[in-house]
Amino acid sequence: MTESKLRAFGLATRRVAPDEFTASVFARLDLDRYILAPSALGDVYVAWTASGISAVRRAGDDAGFEDWYRERTRRRVVPAIEEDSIAAAARAKLAGQDVPVRIDLRACSPFEQRVLNKAAEIRPGSARPYGWIAREVGAPDATRAVGNALARNPVPLLIPCHRVIRTNNSVGGYAFGSELKRALLEGEGLDLDAVARVTRRGFRYVARGGWFCLPTCGDVATHIDEPGYTGLHSLEEVHRHGLVPCKACRPIAA
Amino acid sequence: MLAYPATPPDREAALAGALAQDLDRAFEQLVIAYRGQILNFVARMLHDDARAEDVAQDVFVRAYRALQTYSHQRRCELRLRSWLYAIAHNLTRNAFRDAPPPSDTLDYDDAAPRAALIDPAPGPEHAALRAEAWAAVAQAVARLSPALRPAFVMRYVDDLGYDEIALALDQPVGTVKASAHRGLVAVRAELEKNDD
Repeated sequence: MTESKLRAFGLATRRVAPDEFTASVFARLDLDRYILAPSALGDVYVAWTASGISAVRRAGDDAGFEDWYRERTRRRVVPAIEEDSIAAAARAKLAGQDVPVRIDLRACSPFEQRVLNKAAEIRPGSARPYGWIAREVGAPDATRAVGNALARNPVPLLIPCHRVIRTNNSVGGYAFGSELKRALLEGEGLDLDAVARVTRRGFRYVARGGWFCLPTCGDVATHIDEPGYTGLHSLEEVHRHGLVPCKACRPIAA
Repeated sequence: MLAYPATPPDREAALAGALAQDLDRAFEQLVIAYRGQILNFVARMLHDDARAEDVAQDVFVRAYRALQTYSHQRRCELRLRSWLYAIAHNLTRNAFRDAPPPSDTLDYDDAAPRAALIDPAPGPEHAALRAEAWAAVAQAVARLSPALRPAFVMRYVDDLGYDEIALALDQPVGTVKASAHRGLVAVRAELEKNDD
């Protein structure tokens, strides 16, 4: 057994630190990390903990972001050198891929978490009114609180708070401005002009093939004048036609 | 190929400087630079991979907490690799105490056949044979007595300099040289015995 052979032994039998090694060290130190990633809003900071993504924020001033993060989460955050699987999934999703991303909402109140988790269910190309979220989370009178919870969404884009709009189907407010909200929704395939036309005609729902939907459920608004599609003004009209609520947009809660 | 891109002294000093400047921002560099070596050292000391990962993470957690209390100058002057090995050595020693290894540990035996020190002519070995040989070496290393194993592993497996080992173990260079050598003789004797 020569010395060089022992070193060869060392090489041949060495273990590689697993992907989560660094993440575990940082988690034990209560120190979070962040990366810069391109998104539909331009470059954003993406911060994460061992539990998931904890913040998405428009890039600009590093120190400003770190201060904001500390204030919001009561945790420290530093720029990352390496990405682990949590950060890589967020980067992929922000680049437009449909991948699951773990989110850490511990800095949010239980009500905010319920609202945000509900908003996370809204698929690209669709939108839902604030009141819909309120009913779905079992607080039908809390529309304003829903709006506030969404405005405080720590992970915009990853939780698509931009897909929650006003009951009259106008886009409503957004942390990054209404124009950007409109652009995001249209970029995802929602035809807001068609929705506006349907709304102006006084239609609250759109019926098709025995089902009825919200006008913001996918592309139903664009088909309103095609055979098989009908605009409906009220729930009474819905009941008269004996229609079944769409399982995706659950319009009865709207 | 080297086991690790052995951190050149200037890089080690640059990293120490960065840690002195801003511990939080530079800390990940420290983890990336040394996690492989520390994990392997701890694993060879404990001979238990699952536990090794936990202890190796703890090495860095303790390093961070210690650095928080160090002055700028003390951080700058740190020989990082030796220092991390020292923390790792202490933690594995504690882990040893909590769960001791098998009692029939190897120790230096002056009567060990010197022939074992001579390596047979190297030839193209079959991969399976080599894996078997590595397993035998690993066994022999795992059975080394706790007094010899750290110096032996640092010197002959991890390729640390004697000055670094002396710092890590807080012993004179002469002592660590002797321990490493005794470990080498014991491992060779064990392997020779197995060959019989």
